[in-house]
Amino acid sequence: MIHGQTPGDADWRRALTRFVTVIPHTRELGLEVLEVTPEVTTMRLPWSDDLLGDTARGLVHGGVLTMLLDTVCGSAVLPALPAPEVCPTLDLRVDHFRPGVAGLAILAEARVVRVTESVVFTEGSLWQETGRPLARGIGNFVRLGPRNTPPGFAEALFADVAIDEEGDHA
Amino acid sequence: MREGFENVDWLERTRAEGDVDAWLALIPYARRIGVSTLPDPQGEGLLFRLDPREGNVGNVLLPALHGGVVAAFMETAATLDLMLATRMPRLPRIVDISIDYLRTARLAPTLARCSLQREGRRMGNVRVCAWQESETTPVATARLHFVLGDPGDAGA
Repeated sequence: MIHGQTPGDADWRRALTRFVTVIPHTRELGLEVLEVTPEVTTMRLPWSDDLLGDTARGLVHGGVLTMLLDTVCGSAVLPALPAPEVCPTLDLRVDHFRPGVAGLAILAEARVVRVTESVVFTEGSLWQETGRPLARGIGNFVRLGPRNTPPGFAEALFADVAIDEEGDHA
Repeated sequence: MREGFENVDWLERTRAEGDVDAWLALIPYARRIGVSTLPDPQGEGLLFRLDPREGNVGNVLLPALHGGVVAAFMETAATLDLMLATRMPRLPRIVDISIDYLRTARLAPTLARCSLQREGRRMGNVRVCAWQESETTPVATARLHFVLGDPGDAGA
């Protein structure tokens, strides 16, 4: 894939960092990629007051959780494929176990359950404190295939360019 | 007592006045993605609008709106619509959302219409349809369940 070599976990972490820093919405919120393996992708959304859905009670907007699950599940799809393909979300289901609270980063984990010729099945979960999940997500993604993936998509993910955005999140 | 969804008097007054902007003022993420309301030309209710702003983009190649932002818009719409539509003032808390992405949402204004499918004593079910060019070609549809809380029970 990169010069004919199979990317390792560190390559994928850099590639998905690039992926979420190219997306304006997740770049502006400072989303970080913590760990990537072919099975599991972990991300961290730092706290900002714009994530609130109720300022008086200090609760996270439920839509933030849906956005984050869509992002982490959609990202986890890429390392699970033989070669990166564009995979739009087909559908997404989110169960809200408890509200997120102000002031704490939100951690996100997604795993790929099954890859077929046309669909990638994923599931994800979110938490602020270990052992206290906020939400669970089930996302299915359509494989557009190499023919409908823009040329240079894989190369762009693994382009050998320093990703300075990483430093901007501090 | 300060303004807030748990303030029963404030909730009843803003609801009676249909002052959804007062509610949106307390929802920073909805403001960040640019949610607003407009009168429904086909009825007495409201339509919801998502501003096509650069910060909502999720795919720079197309460009297309972030599917998660579209979902957050639809959840906001469902919550606000439900708060207006119930028989009594209620505080909805989301239980689950299921969203189908039907078409690419371009960097253009997105509208949404909600319909309350069921209002029980404890649970509400809302359907949301979001579109850009025409309501007959939606970009996404969603269904949501909410627990209908009593605004008097703070922290419920």
